[in-house]
Amino acid sequence: MISVSKLLCDLDAEGDGLRYDAADESEKAQIRERKQRRPVVVWNCTKQCNLYCDHCYAAAETEPAPGELTTAEGKRFLDELAEFGAPVVLFSGGEPLAREDLVELVAHASDAGLRPVLSTNGTLLTEERAVALREAGLKYVGVSVDGMPERNDAFRGQTGAFDRALDGIAASQSAGLKTGLRYTITRHNAGDLEDVVALLAERGVDRFCFYHLDYGGRGAEIRDVDLTPEERREAVRRVCDLTREYHDRGHEIETLLVGNYADAGYLVEYARRELGEAAADRIRGYLLKNGGDPTGERIADVDYQGNAHLTQFWQGYSLGNVRDRPFGDIWTDEFNPLLDALREREHHLTGRCADCRYQDICRGGSRLRALSVGDDPFGPDPQCYLTPEERGIDGEAGVPGAAD
Amino acid sequence: MNDEAVRSDMSDPDADSTDRERDDAALEAAVDAPRGDVSREWELFVRESTDDPLTHAGSVSAPSAEIAREQAEWLFGWTAETLWLCPADETRRFAADGVALADRTGETATDDSVGAGETGGEEA
Repeated sequence: MISVSKLLCDLDAEGDGLRYDAADESEKAQIRERKQRRPVVVWNCTKQCNLYCDHCYAAAETEPAPGELTTAEGKRFLDELAEFGAPVVLFSGGEPLAREDLVELVAHASDAGLRPVLSTNGTLLTEERAVALREAGLKYVGVSVDGMPERNDAFRGQTGAFDRALDGIAASQSAGLKTGLRYTITRHNAGDLEDVVALLAERGVDRFCFYHLDYGGRGAEIRDVDLTPEERREAVRRVCDLTREYHDRGHEIETLLVGNYADAGYLVEYARRELGEAAADRIRGYLLKNGGDPTGERIADVDYQGNAHLTQFWQGYSLGNVRDRPFGDIWTDEFNPLLDALREREHHLTGRCADCRYQDICRGGSRLRALSVGDDPFGPDPQCYLTPEERGIDGEAGVPGAAD
Repeated sequence: MNDEAVRSDMSDPDADSTDRERDDAALEAAVDAPRGDVSREWELFVRESTDDPLTHAGSVSAPSAEIAREQAEWLFGWTAETLWLCPADETRRFAADGVALADRTGETATDDSVGAGETGGEEA
């Protein structure tokens, strides 16, 4: 995650200690020290979902999967995450609110010392449940809204999903929970970007998370509606501009770019053009601390059956299963050559990533997209939209095409 | 790496089990929950050079052995000299007391933890 509001507008937020090693600069409660070196763990606690979204990386269905972790197994798993030092557990799905024991699990995570947060479609979030979750220790609710009503509902496979998501956002806010909106951009909904940000501002939503499409689960089946590099560049520029415009008007929205670390290089270039060299250097310094794409390092995923994955989107490969041994033992296994190589990927990246001037703050972007498109986990990310000049490559011109 | 599949003898590995001394305390707990759902899951073993042990390196989801081989080669072909793939639903996993998650929670696996239609192994 790259915080546009932190880097361009200096907005203080809870996650900055984790993202930029900037805990000392912040007045907000921060995640510090040992926990910064452990991954944020996404737990797909059920496969069951009441919606059927086109881009669902977990390929969720209307029924639970066989062998989902039981309540007791889930609690032990959470204890082991806390013992390992994971800073955050993100309850995801499927739709996590489909689990009747969610409040109990959130309370257990909080008591164990984890920071529990929730990713939901919002449609099942009543005020009563939101209050129960807040009292259980939940710290944040992220609700998926992928466009204005018509496009969102088409994407999510259910008429009325947009209105019910807004009801869920209102319930979360009413319960006093920090609430964000997550929007995954495709060609279908790119035209709604400004309206979604306006909606967020009007509703007083705390945070806007702009997701690039990753090619996992059903997301891999809709690659054809992913943006071109030119379209992506324009969308990211618009997020940067909008963030600054809102802040200039006194509306301190928190905006985050997620899932494509070409954004890191772009932000430095944007800052150089709009704010000057000193700002660009300062931002680059923050992004170095952020460390680039977090696959296999600062993000991890455990699915409903206990399989551990390199990111939440990369469900087709599992490192091991928490039913066999604790997550921390799987994550620190020194005998997995892929895990090792991802953690020193600067020695393995090929193609245009190998000699890019922004490799240290991007680290090649999504390894899953590289694998999905090029059959090579160390090949170039097809979503990179930096120009050859920006990448420091002489003799080429223009924004790279998807096949570059 | 070499594309050639190495076929192994798939006869019953427990045919001579009555001849062996068994330690009742060791490796008795079956980890009996499924690892796959829509696609079949394939346990993946990698050897990087001939004097290395064959090491478990996770699993891939794939509808067939051929697609599993393709995926495993994309992930590990750059370093592996040998890849083995075993269908997870044909793999029996055993652990010593206290190792498996059900043991670590202090609860034994219940029918609820294995869905209808899933064998989870003969030991389930």
